[in-house]
Amino acid sequence: MSIVYAAAASHAPGMRAWTKQAPGHQLEKILAGWDTLRQALEAAKPDVLVMLTSEHWANFFLDNMGAFCVGRGEHFAGPVEPWLGIENATLDGDPALATEILNACYANGFEPGFSHEIAFDHGTMVPLSYLTPDMKTRVVPIFFNTLATPRPSPARCVALGKVLGPVLRQSNLRVGVIATGGLSHDPGERNHGFIDSDFDAKFLDAMTKGDLEALSRYADADFFAAGGGTPELLAWLTLAGVMAGQGSDTVCYEAVVPWATGIGMINYSKAA
Amino acid sequence: MSTYALSKLLREVNRNPVTRARYFEDAAAVAAEFDLTAEERKALLEKDIGALYRLGVHGLILRPFTLIHKMPEPEYLQAIRS
Repeated sequence: MSIVYAAAASHAPGMRAWTKQAPGHQLEKILAGWDTLRQALEAAKPDVLVMLTSEHWANFFLDNMGAFCVGRGEHFAGPVEPWLGIENATLDGDPALATEILNACYANGFEPGFSHEIAFDHGTMVPLSYLTPDMKTRVVPIFFNTLATPRPSPARCVALGKVLGPVLRQSNLRVGVIATGGLSHDPGERNHGFIDSDFDAKFLDAMTKGDLEALSRYADADFFAAGGGTPELLAWLTLAGVMAGQGSDTVCYEAVVPWATGIGMINYSKAA
Repeated sequence: MSTYALSKLLREVNRNPVTRARYFEDAAAVAAEFDLTAEERKALLEKDIGALYRLGVHGLILRPFTLIHKMPEPEYLQAIRS
């Protein structure tokens, strides 16, 4: 079949846990952005969503930390956080597609880890709560280590996307691909609330132009300098690689100080 | 991470509802299951957020830990910035 839907969006917990703390004019634009992404998803009718995503110590800790982990489970439950403001839900996985993804990776120079047992935290549940509120679409999550160094390099993540693209396009399924996380933020640290709007603007520019060379030239230090949470954008880089340099549109960008995050969303308007 | 055991404990409270319930019932009993220094144990049992941060707990472990205690954001930021 093909990739029928592709998008990326922030997953800041404030969007659900402290929704109304965002200034009204910003909240309006962000909710409209989610509506745009959701309507495009519903029109595309994907059978499965490959979530390029990250999490926050819920599953992965320093006792076993890999660069990438593919979720092979039959089901995924979430959210982990009792304070998030999203009802508990269990989504179906797609173990067969997860295995196809892993086989393609291992045949093409990547050895992600895998797990049959993953709990979803806000990183995956916040976007799903807006995009598929009934939580009935199958998902295959691919987690990126964004928390502990060494992290996979930006160039490596673009390259991973180039390996994933063909296997997703060759699937019999209608595949949607969603990257979550970012943009600039430094949550829970002394610089909490710091948002690097210049960095975010440049990053969105490269993503919307599909400029894989510029995206591959980022260094881990560039992301980290824009805030400790900003390496979550590694997932967006893999999305760019999946979409093979195709351009996209910025659906919204708002630097929301009460959520301590540069909130951004992009959409690839043509099926690939 | 020098605060490996302390971070692991806090993270377990964050992610595991059973550990969380046990912690709220008897924090010292849960603390005893982890290899903490005296300083770490004191900071944990006194809920000294500033001390926990200075000891090296990651913000994405410490802030959720304080959210479970319903600590407002300004109070959290003041504690870690002190």
